[in-house]
Amino acid sequence: MIAYETQLKIQALLDDELSPSDARRLAETLAQDPEARALLAELKGTKAALKSFEEPFTLPETREFFWSKIERSIQAQPERVVAGAPLWVAWRRFLVPVSSLAALVLLALLTLLGPGGKGPEFEAALSDPGAFTYRDYSTGATLVWLSYPAENEFAQEEPTDTIE
Amino acid sequence: MTENDHSSTDDQTLVRAAQKGDMAAFEELVARHRDKLYARAFSMMRNEEEAVDLSQEAWVKGWQRLGQFQGESSFGTWMTRIVINLCLDQLRRQKRQRTESFEAINEESGGVERQMPVVVPNPTAELERAELRQRIDQALNQLSHEHRTALVLHEFEEMEYKEIAKTMDCSIGTVMSRLFYARRKMAALLAGLKKEDLR
Repeated sequence: MIAYETQLKIQALLDDELSPSDARRLAETLAQDPEARALLAELKGTKAALKSFEEPFTLPETREFFWSKIERSIQAQPERVVAGAPLWVAWRRFLVPVSSLAALVLLALLTLLGPGGKGPEFEAALSDPGAFTYRDYSTGATLVWLSYPAENEFAQEEPTDTIE
Repeated sequence: MTENDHSSTDDQTLVRAAQKGDMAAFEELVARHRDKLYARAFSMMRNEEEAVDLSQEAWVKGWQRLGQFQGESSFGTWMTRIVINLCLDQLRRQKRQRTESFEAINEESGGVERQMPVVVPNPTAELERAELRQRIDQALNQLSHEHRTALVLHEFEEMEYKEIAKTMDCSIGTVMSRLFYARRKMAALLAGLKKEDLR
């Protein structure tokens, strides 16, 4: 019986996936072993049979009917970003959370590095992850930072930039 | 632009038009490649209804991802890869849902194909074309989905071992084993051997 590794190498030879050195060694085995040659012949026969097997399958639905289902599904999907659309549209979902995070980091740094006494505070409203409030008690200033355009249910409303 | 205008347009131009949102151009692409996609889905699923549904789903996905198509392969090849991935996902879901048969477990653990008698002479030499087609069809039905997929991807999609491994999310060694088992079992089935002869 041929070793399993050799059996797989015979297959790899047929599929042109064997290294040149392995192919040379296997050629010697094939020359000496009729069982190995028989296996190669069988694998070749199966491969040839499958190659000649042109699947005669055609879609069992008319062009119009099949397309109508696809068209309906496409129209039910959220609008695709088509080629040539403004880059801003594609990057918006990425930019909003990143800029929010940057604002958080900046405010945290201000808090840590600011003067002593009652330092500034910031808070994020959980119901609106795009809004942050910054309060500096030493100057009595309040800054509300809003992402724009908004990604929530208030997106259609007029945006508020800064409240002092 | 009407449908007739698109019928003489090449795929590349149609793809560019579809990428800009031209649904009529996309419809022409669907008409051109739908049989090929359906055939690939059917060869993997062996079920007409599932093959229709999955090829339809592939077209919807294709439309959604059209912006990612760079033209490195032909549009038909790109779409075929989408339907293959959808079929693999579906087959994996089905496998998780069903209890594997004892035979399937045996096949996965390997070994049976090593002891199969070599079929000589060429098992298909005496068969008429129609009979050969029927036997191949029946034999493909009898393979497990892993073995059938490896065979379909290698023989019909002409993928290399490495590419099959990536597509099927397994090692190259597993691909070689699955392919070997599938071929040996196909040879036996094509030769008309009974199941007990394979043991």
